[in-house]
Amino acid sequence: MVQRSATAIAGRAVMARWDGGVCPFDAGWRKVMMWWFIVTDGLLFGGFLASYGYARLLAFHWPDRAQVFSLPYIAAMTFVLITSSATMASAVQAAREGRMRIALRFTVLTAIGGALFLGMQAYEWRHVIEEGARLNANPWGDAAFGAYFFLLTGFHGTHVLTGLIVLVSTAIRAATGRSTTEGVEMAGLYWHFVDLVWVFIFTLFYLL
Amino acid sequence: MKNYWITWAVLLVFTVAMLWADAMSIPRTVFVVFMLGAMLTKATIIGGNFMHLRSERLPLVLTVVIGLLVIGGLLYVLIAPDAVRIHEMVRAAQAK
Repeated sequence: MVQRSATAIAGRAVMARWDGGVCPFDAGWRKVMMWWFIVTDGLLFGGFLASYGYARLLAFHWPDRAQVFSLPYIAAMTFVLITSSATMASAVQAAREGRMRIALRFTVLTAIGGALFLGMQAYEWRHVIEEGARLNANPWGDAAFGAYFFLLTGFHGTHVLTGLIVLVSTAIRAATGRSTTEGVEMAGLYWHFVDLVWVFIFTLFYLL
Repeated sequence: MKNYWITWAVLLVFTVAMLWADAMSIPRTVFVVFMLGAMLTKATIIGGNFMHLRSERLPLVLTVVIGLLVIGGLLYVLIAPDAVRIHEMVRAAQAK
């Protein structure tokens, strides 16, 4: 009898962590949908990076990155993106505490960081294109290099641009008193995802 | 809010360590292992602290993390045969 009730208590404890029905993830539908989007988008980037890895392993002569990129410049881009992620996290925290004016300030700072990153990426693209890199050719080595460079950084840059639009929209809504905590939180989740993807691109494409 | 700036500092330290490792002449295998380790650590820190996965409910965390890892791994394995086949086709075409 005692053993049966102990089993029942343990069962309820497990169910408390795995509760189905009304709210299995204990999160609103917006948050759950944002997470689904992040997982599927992450898989898309995963596919790109996997094919890049194979292309690189099988290439005859992969270009020497030191010859193509300025690493301190790419490091500065990384610094900008990491910092913008910290300001975004602060905006979410402020929104959760109901301090929407502070949340607005941090959201604006994040948007500035995003715009700066995009500007730096545009400058990098211009430099690489001027050096002769195209989607199907480049002066440094294997032809696939150009394709993967433009694909990976371009796709990520598009995400940054989308994030920037979301941030500006969130900031406008916060300034006019129409933003909700959940709205800021969703913008934050997306922005951190953009930062997360850059961690992989920075390491796998620029450093290795 | 302070925690987020500590996380930011930790991420910066990892980034600087990666750049430092890049500037040093470390054996290639050690270098690659270090870079991949640092990359995964940074990703975990961002996911856990900035995206609040640490404080989310277990089913959500497991769905996201296992979903990404398992399907991502599967994706990588499924690309491999085609990648090697294309490589062999290119080599054969160049040999002619």
